[in-house]
Amino acid sequence: MLDVALVSLIQDMSEKAGVEGTIQYWLRVGESLANRMGREAYMGWPSFNVALREGRTAYSIEGKVTALTDLAITDVDGDVVGYIYANEQCVFVPTIIRVRYSVGDVPKADQAVAEEYNNSIRNTAVCNFCVIHQKFREEVARNITVADQPLECYQLANRGFTGETKIAEDYLKKLGINPEYVRSLLRNYSCVYALVMKGARLRGEEVEE
Amino acid sequence: MIGEDTKASKRRGATSMRATAIESNPLVDVAAHLFLEDIADKQGAAGMNTYLMSLATSLARSMPEEEYDTWEDFLDALRAGDSILSTFETIFTPTDHCVVTTVNPFERGWLEYTKRIGKYSRIHYDVAEYYNATVKPGAIDTTCIIHQTFRNAAAERIRVGGRRVKCAQIATIHSDGTKKVAPDEWLPILLEKAGITRTQLNMFMRNNAIIWCIYPE
Repeated sequence: MLDVALVSLIQDMSEKAGVEGTIQYWLRVGESLANRMGREAYMGWPSFNVALREGRTAYSIEGKVTALTDLAITDVDGDVVGYIYANEQCVFVPTIIRVRYSVGDVPKADQAVAEEYNNSIRNTAVCNFCVIHQKFREEVARNITVADQPLECYQLANRGFTGETKIAEDYLKKLGINPEYVRSLLRNYSCVYALVMKGARLRGEEVEE
Repeated sequence: MIGEDTKASKRRGATSMRATAIESNPLVDVAAHLFLEDIADKQGAAGMNTYLMSLATSLARSMPEEEYDTWEDFLDALRAGDSILSTFETIFTPTDHCVVTTVNPFERGWLEYTKRIGKYSRIHYDVAEYYNATVKPGAIDTTCIIHQTFRNAAAERIRVGGRRVKCAQIATIHSDGTKKVAPDEWLPILLEKAGITRTQLNMFMRNNAIIWCIYPE
């Protein structure tokens, strides 16, 4: 019920504080949530991926996360520096469905906030809630170390409730991942992101140089 | 009769499918709590209380109005989860004027918060105390303020035989076991309106979340 109330608030908040104000609020909530969940340290990628599968990492709050271990992200030396992760269901979809059945429709401000985020910050939002949970993921990555290395999160692709998609081609290029591979992941997953060791010398960056 | 059974069966199936599809996501629930805490940091208990009440009223006003010919028709809709008053909660009606909510609709959020973040922030209880002192004594935490305000605003959107519906809080049992019962001077009147005894109230409080009453204005 609280989530439906929150949605009813978006319109009001966006009218009073502007969509930019709503974005600032949501970014702060995402950051605060990540920081209050604490730090984590893992010996290596296998222990992190097992923890993720068992729901022990901060990312588990988003629901079922799958580590796509068939495609490791490697650096210029061929060492594994990260993996791709995917959520089957968008975190906001249950709320959208509940709003649909209780209130009727999602306020227009939902898309207005997403569009403003896409124009002013990063073109990766399909709904207003992407602002919170993409920020949350970035902050959580900073709080996790794998083999003593902090992580960095790259939002790669997502599919919204009505089927619209966002694919971050610049990040895919940087990580050396074929966009078609990620596009095919969206057949079964709603949200795809990469976790990579911060400061790793990525293959895509070398090509650019 | 067979037609009615089939209709009821289809309805149960649809309700079950819908319930599966809309199980809330913990991230959204917990993020909403942190958003409220952020508001409290800036506006204090009084400001947050005003904010919560406005939020709940706005939610109720965004939902469709309802009208029923008879109290029985209204109760049918309420029991089937079709009324605005039972949209967000699972209820049963031991009498025609008493409603028992089996699980608090905010419980999942509280459980996820305490599991993922830790102890529930003190501000949620402080704001409830402010509400109890200044509005109506019935809240244990901030979610009670939203819930009770929503319910009152939602009841105003219902007409039964042309008359408005009123509702009143009798008792709340928080997810952590804390109980909040209506003040002693109000309780006999509320129990009489609900058509239950004090002993029955205690029995409902054993394994349910909220006991409230509904009556025509």
